[in-house]
Amino acid sequence: MSVPSRLRTANPHLGAYYGIVTSAFVSLILLLAMFEQLGASRTVLAETMLLAPLALYLLIAIGSRTLEVEDFFCSGRRVPPIFNGFVLAATAVGGVGVLVYTGAVFFLGFDALAIGLGWTAGMLIGGVLFVPYLRKAGSYTLPTFLGHRFRSRIVRMTASVVQLPPTALLLAAEMKIAALIAVLFLPVSFSLAVVTIAVFIGVTAILGGLRSVTWTGSAEFLVGAIGLAVVVTTVSIVLTNIPAPQLTYGEMFSSLHDAEITAGVTPVQPDGLAAALPGPAPMANGKPFLEPFGSMSEVDFATLFLCVALGTAALPSLLTRSGVTSSISDQRRSTAWGLLLVALFVMTAPAIAVFAKLILFKDIATVPASHLPAWLGEFGAQHLIQTGDTNGDGVIGARELLIARDGITLVLPRAAELPYVLSALMATAGIAIALAAATSHLFTLGASLAEDLYRVLDRRQTLPRLVAAWAAIAATALAAAVFLVIAEVDPLRAALSALAFAASTFFSTLLLAIWWPRCTVQGALAAMGTGFAVMVLGVAMGGGFAAEQTALTTPVASLAGVGLGLVAGVAASLYWRTSSKAEETYCVEMRNPDGEAIYDRAQQRAAATALAAPTAPAVPAASAS
Amino acid sequence: MASEAPLTDHPARDRHQLRTLLLAVAILSTVLLAVFLTVTTATWLNQYGFLHFPLGFYLLAQGLFILIVVATFWFIRIQDRLDEARAENEELG
Repeated sequence: MSVPSRLRTANPHLGAYYGIVTSAFVSLILLLAMFEQLGASRTVLAETMLLAPLALYLLIAIGSRTLEVEDFFCSGRRVPPIFNGFVLAATAVGGVGVLVYTGAVFFLGFDALAIGLGWTAGMLIGGVLFVPYLRKAGSYTLPTFLGHRFRSRIVRMTASVVQLPPTALLLAAEMKIAALIAVLFLPVSFSLAVVTIAVFIGVTAILGGLRSVTWTGSAEFLVGAIGLAVVVTTVSIVLTNIPAPQLTYGEMFSSLHDAEITAGVTPVQPDGLAAALPGPAPMANGKPFLEPFGSMSEVDFATLFLCVALGTAALPSLLTRSGVTSSISDQRRSTAWGLLLVALFVMTAPAIAVFAKLILFKDIATVPASHLPAWLGEFGAQHLIQTGDTNGDGVIGARELLIARDGITLVLPRAAELPYVLSALMATAGIAIALAAATSHLFTLGASLAEDLYRVLDRRQTLPRLVAAWAAIAATALAAAVFLVIAEVDPLRAALSALAFAASTFFSTLLLAIWWPRCTVQGALAAMGTGFAVMVLGVAMGGGFAAEQTALTTPVASLAGVGLGLVAGVAASLYWRTSSKAEETYCVEMRNPDGEAIYDRAQQRAAATALAAPTAPAVPAASAS
Repeated sequence: MASEAPLTDHPARDRHQLRTLLLAVAILSTVLLAVFLTVTTATWLNQYGFLHFPLGFYLLAQGLFILIVVATFWFIRIQDRLDEARAENEELG
């Protein structure tokens, strides 16, 4: 007989709350637009636009604080699918997507589509292969799931350790994006911005764990989506008279092609296995937007796509959210909503890139050097755009127009000569999405360190469960801030390396753990270890995360890690013992879509046992520790 | 004609798992095939236009995303039906 899932009712007023959040933010935009017309200074506009939403997020985090373990680690398993979709989309895309991916599309045009396609396909792959089964398992972290599945503390601790590179790299990348935006729009230094962001995301994650991550993340997503939609739609209206940027930028291709030819952009050839990805420093745009496979070959395109797709599918920060909805069906729906929102963004990014490129090339590269637009000086001071008539021909050619990859999205509203409030709005959108993603990565990392390393190593459980999680989250935020202040991180390479690590380490392991009941502890360790080792070797041979060849050698190493990990996992499982009866039962239960999560049932049994024998020491759930 | 004996003790469960596996393989192979087919033919497809876009570019920038989103929601619908059928079969014994 099927067992109905425990009734978990979402707050019926959520729609009203977030309607109020949305209305408040729209009102703020309108208010600041009026103030700008009345002569308010740019500093006041930027500070209000960026700081008021931050206060709102903090208020939501305080409102969703909790001391309940289930709320802290899985948001009470009652998040409606659409809200989980908001946070999934914000975590998958992040500030890296809004600023860096758009910049990559600006420079690489056609060839950069591999990354966006990979994100979307990855969410589908993860949603089909992993998410429903992780929801049924109900474990709070990905390493905990693997530990429960194989009844092994070693697997759990190993997974927690190898989860560090992908999650930490993404955390660093998102924090850097948020700090870069803050430096451009607020009177703060980079170090102060990094520390402030670390404190902000640390407080958010500590106050309510995944609960506050979910509810602040939803608000941050809404702010980000509104900001992006308003600015890009306005630019679309200015340029094409139609408020549908995704459909209208195709009309600009002939103008863009002409501008590229005038500016001296000529077709390029893939340069072997050399890095195709643009760096963070201002650089010239030397590739026609529509030229297919100019900076990377078709094979490189497919490799990059697969690497990003498999990395997104197995990304711990996304999979950690697999237990927050009330049922398996809702979890699938939430993944679908997240995928839809990611797809909408990825379909919009080329429009931003085309609009920006057309405006920059028409306004700068095709006019006399003496008639450059006034806003150019402002961007020059911020190191976003650098120009100089180095060959003295009286015009700024494409080779003399150096543009910062991560500034394209922020430059667009000013270059389109829109009111300054829309520039601040775009910055607010970027910082909101970056904060949502950074908080998710921070929680994933901190929760795993507390649950899968500390609680496994310290058998006496000296620190209470939540205190351990708070300490781990605070320590992780501090470490990330210190790392960012002392190290130079390129967000694009860091994010791609993180996805490559996630694919190489976790994809084959999860595939075997969920879909092959015969997979054993040794098989899981072999798959995880082989994938991680191949990836480390690939990165070492490629010269590290910031190496020029990261774009291409890292994806190849990642896919090799996936393949070799699968082979090693299957071989080790076949060679060593067969899986235990408990493991097989767990697999069978995991595939049953009905009933309560396996972890919750174990917790209930443990609680019932403790109640039945009040004098005996509480027995931890068989699978809980 | 005598009816076939069940292969295992849990025919509903086994049928559900097999169908779930087939559905997963079908949807993922369809999407991946579409992506790789588009990548390999993109340059050729670009000679045709669609909504002012070169067709190869359009498919990689928008068309495949629409396919993936539609496939995902279709997958959810079918998988929910499979799950409901299993629950009903198990209820009936």
